[in-house]
Amino acid sequence: MTRFILKRCGLALASLFILSVTIFVLIRLTGDPATLLAAPEAKEADLQAIRVQLGLDRSWPVQYVHFVGGALRGDFGTSLYYRVPAGALYWQRLPASLQLAAAAMAISLLVGLSVGILAAVHVGRWWDSVGKLIALLGLSMPSFWLGLLLIYFFAVYLHWLPTSGRGTAAHLVMPAVALSGYFTAAHMRLTRSSMLDVLGSDYVKLARLKGLPESWVLVKHAFKNALIPVVTLAGINLVLMINVAVVVETVFAWPGIGRLLYEGIEFRDFPVVQTVVLLGGVMVIAANLTVDILYAWIDPRIRLER
Amino acid sequence: MPGSIPASASSADTLVSPWSPAWRRVRDVARDVPVVPVTIIGVALVAALFADALAPHDPVLGNLRHRHRPPAWLAGGDATHLLGTDHLGRDILSRLLFGARISLLVGFTAAVVAGALGTAVGIVSGYYGRWVDQLIMRLVDAWIALPAISFAIFLAVLLGPSEMNIVIILAGIFWTRYARVIRGEVLSLKERDYVRLAIVANCSKWTIMRRHILPNVINTSIVLSTLIVGVVIVAEAALSFLGVGVPPPKPAWGLMLADGKEGMMAGYWWVTLFPGLAIMLVVLAANLLGDWLRVRLDPQLRQL
Amino acid sequence: MRANRRCFLGCVVLVLGLVLMAPARSPAAPQGTVIYAVHITIAPAWFDPADNPGQITPFIIQYALHDAVIKPMPAGMMTPSLAESWTASKDGRVYEFVLRKNVVFHNGDPMTAEDVKFSFERYRGAGAKLMKEKVEAVTIVDPHRVRFHLKEPWPDFMGFYGSPATGAGWIVPKKYVEKVGDDGFKKAPIGAGPFKLASMTPGVEIVLEAHEKYWRKTPKVKRIVMKSVPEGSTRLAMLKRGEAHIAYKTDGPLGEEVKKDSNLDLVFSGGIATWWLQFGDMNDPKSPWHNQKVRLAASLALDRKALSEAETLGASPPTGSIIPREFEWALPVEPHPYDPKRAKQLLVEAGYPNGFDAGFITPIPPYYSFAEAVAGYLGAIGIKAKVQKMERAVMFDKRRKKELGDICLCANGGFGNAVTRIDADIVSTGVHSVLKDAEIDRLFAEQSRESDPKKREALLKRIQQRVVDQAYFAPIYQLQWPNGVSKAMKVSGMGLIPTFYYTGPFEEIELR
Repeated sequence: MTRFILKRCGLALASLFILSVTIFVLIRLTGDPATLLAAPEAKEADLQAIRVQLGLDRSWPVQYVHFVGGALRGDFGTSLYYRVPAGALYWQRLPASLQLAAAAMAISLLVGLSVGILAAVHVGRWWDSVGKLIALLGLSMPSFWLGLLLIYFFAVYLHWLPTSGRGTAAHLVMPAVALSGYFTAAHMRLTRSSMLDVLGSDYVKLARLKGLPESWVLVKHAFKNALIPVVTLAGINLVLMINVAVVVETVFAWPGIGRLLYEGIEFRDFPVVQTVVLLGGVMVIAANLTVDILYAWIDPRIRLER
Repeated sequence: MPGSIPASASSADTLVSPWSPAWRRVRDVARDVPVVPVTIIGVALVAALFADALAPHDPVLGNLRHRHRPPAWLAGGDATHLLGTDHLGRDILSRLLFGARISLLVGFTAAVVAGALGTAVGIVSGYYGRWVDQLIMRLVDAWIALPAISFAIFLAVLLGPSEMNIVIILAGIFWTRYARVIRGEVLSLKERDYVRLAIVANCSKWTIMRRHILPNVINTSIVLSTLIVGVVIVAEAALSFLGVGVPPPKPAWGLMLADGKEGMMAGYWWVTLFPGLAIMLVVLAANLLGDWLRVRLDPQLRQL
Repeated sequence: MRANRRCFLGCVVLVLGLVLMAPARSPAAPQGTVIYAVHITIAPAWFDPADNPGQITPFIIQYALHDAVIKPMPAGMMTPSLAESWTASKDGRVYEFVLRKNVVFHNGDPMTAEDVKFSFERYRGAGAKLMKEKVEAVTIVDPHRVRFHLKEPWPDFMGFYGSPATGAGWIVPKKYVEKVGDDGFKKAPIGAGPFKLASMTPGVEIVLEAHEKYWRKTPKVKRIVMKSVPEGSTRLAMLKRGEAHIAYKTDGPLGEEVKKDSNLDLVFSGGIATWWLQFGDMNDPKSPWHNQKVRLAASLALDRKALSEAETLGASPPTGSIIPREFEWALPVEPHPYDPKRAKQLLVEAGYPNGFDAGFITPIPPYYSFAEAVAGYLGAIGIKAKVQKMERAVMFDKRRKKELGDICLCANGGFGNAVTRIDADIVSTGVHSVLKDAEIDRLFAEQSRESDPKKREALLKRIQQRVVDQAYFAPIYQLQWPNGVSKAMKVSGMGLIPTFYYTGPFEEIELR
């Protein structure tokens, strides 16, 4: 078991290394922050002075070593734009992103699962049509459009909810709904087809023949088994959700890391971009690692595979 | 079962009906084809191919003095601009028709590229197993951990925004989906008898992958692609919103949505409604088609 | 008798009581909170005038936090603020400023000439090198009198020191800066302006509190919250919902909606940024842009009024010069009329009867719809151009390296005067200039040596006239922004200072 864990950790570190080098190189290929930090009319000497001040005149490998060395100590450099430590910026904005993702994921699973089950149980009838409509809307409406429609309707027209920003629970509703759109549809479709599969399986047929009550069949067997692929998909979708959240964050002025990263790239704020991508990657890879180890602990066959 | 003819009827048919058995097969399949998605996709294709002839105006040149004209049936609209004009005075209907070309092309190409790459990687990873599989899956993990949006912006900066870049970006985002799913399928396929026989018979790895594995997973790829095409077309809108989508003034539907968002607030709903409807219909068609294909090709594919 | 006396005493007591209880006439305390919806993210670098990049963006917050020796105010572009008055010596080499005595920084420290000298010497932003070259020394005559000694007469001194072109005249407290250092200052800035920084969440919002001891007057508003809201539609929604009192940049249809809404006012601001078309290849004899007639045709093809209406609801005045008419030594030039027929005729005369393919038109991001509209007008006379979308940093870089060929939809929004604009965009050594006109270069060198202001003005105007005659550019308009202001604001500060894009003066901002 220990060997397995060590091996997996080693591979995870390898992934992190590849990730860090990739982002390091990519952001530097995009250009020079000095041009953006100075006036458009600044002379070359002014720009060079800025570069020296920020440590950007050194060679890339030197900069990389400096960055990694600092990162291991928890120092991710100072944001070129905000002049505060990049790490502090990240931890400050992270809770907002996690809150949004958690809320959106919860909505997508609650609505997706319930409507999906209802659609499967009442296949071909009213609930199925509702499900199909939700799926269509969720899959074909871009989140920014949905978000703006929600703001216009619920905030400006009905005055029920605040337009934007983070604050109370009321502030969370519309951004979470806008972000969850696509995922609700995807989870609903999968739940429905998964349930249909299970409901048509021999096991369920046998249970029905035996005369067991329908509710027992549904709850005890169908539901649990239909759940497995959906939860797996939800896990994969969580990363995607955090990635695409930047659109919702822009529309609703939600102070998350998606927007931080987007602006970081725009301003060529190297430390911020490196930090956000690296720390985000650490979380994703760590989560994958934990799941892998858990699976291996539950199912010994996996860890024996060379 | 579609395509087969009841034995009892065949003799009677051959005596009386002019239809030969081959034609009857086609007719039976044709009966089964889903009308709605095929019609929608057909209309979109016609629009895409014949936009030059069908469009009443140039989609790119507009007249600022005619901006935000409402559709013809509303007060202030006229028949020259059936669906109204946008913020630069360009005809919405013409842009819609030309936009079909771009959106469909981008969507289709991205799905094909993502599918080809993802399927290939999935097959190799799943078939070879062991350390190759591990290595590839770690790379996939690292790839997924890289934020898609920054990837999109980097490409836009390094190569300049263009349709080709959108295809690359979108393919780059979605290929991992294929890789994971196909890999799972290949892992289970490996245990099948005919594959094991082929291995025992000393067939080369490539032959096995090409002959036995690929035909079996291609159905999954195709069904997955129909879902992905829809997602790609919507993703194009999100990329345009962020400023890294199809460059203006090309009338991609997603870009029309992004451009028109302010107009929406001021009551110019037609600027976004029509491209939004177009996107919705194409996504609907793609999904219905995917459902139909899934049922026809292999009911086991429900897991997608 | 006793009853009368008691009554009389009672009355006196009563009257005295009423008089004493009447509210004392004191300056009204600041009240209320005003919320801004801002279209950009405010950078902490802008808290420190020492790094001012020469653009106007830092002033969105600097007018609140800091004050300057001389600055633009509603009364005039060079209103003495921290200085009571200033004088220049006859030989033009010494400038003396008499400072106000009642100026107090946010932390209570009084302002003295030490701070003025310190702020100047500390300045390292745009134009710092030039200023340091020209200024020999700064001497403190007494705690409220400071002198600048120039190495030689430099008539532009006040243009640089006394305007937002540099941040050298924006005063920071010496003791405090020396104590906390530059980085500490950016985290917790102290200035002499009407508002102090209460708190900041980077990238999200900034909260300002009134500085009650502000020398000019106590601010009318107690708190100002500036929220970062990048999406214009959302800013409008906030205004409508009452979540914001002031929203910057409600362009196009958003502005139309503000106009229609009876609870909101549409207020325009700005004007210092001029926009024009520039032709990167015009020095190449093979390029169509080498021909003056072609350039003139491009200018005549544009309907500036329609462009102004589409982008800014008609607020941006069309112009015929790339130098704002409000600038010192600017030559007022009437904009070209919208004359596509004559434009086509010119193209025929130039040898392009069927127009030509002009490649790309590259705007300063994110003004793409503006560029599309311009491309439309050019296309109507046969000049086919495609909008090239470039990322902001990339575009700035290419512009500086003079690698933007074909057409550039360019602009310059810096403070200054005709000299600074000519220096940047017209002389061949200009940072963004694509011109190579030897006569202009000669005239410019001559005017920099000229001490007679009248002769100097004549030279500068000759340069500008030559630019117009040669149709080197196709100037379009001086950009003004439409902004949304809630009717709950009595004074929003928007548009009070001419050509200034942001609200100011902050001490005047008042809720109803």
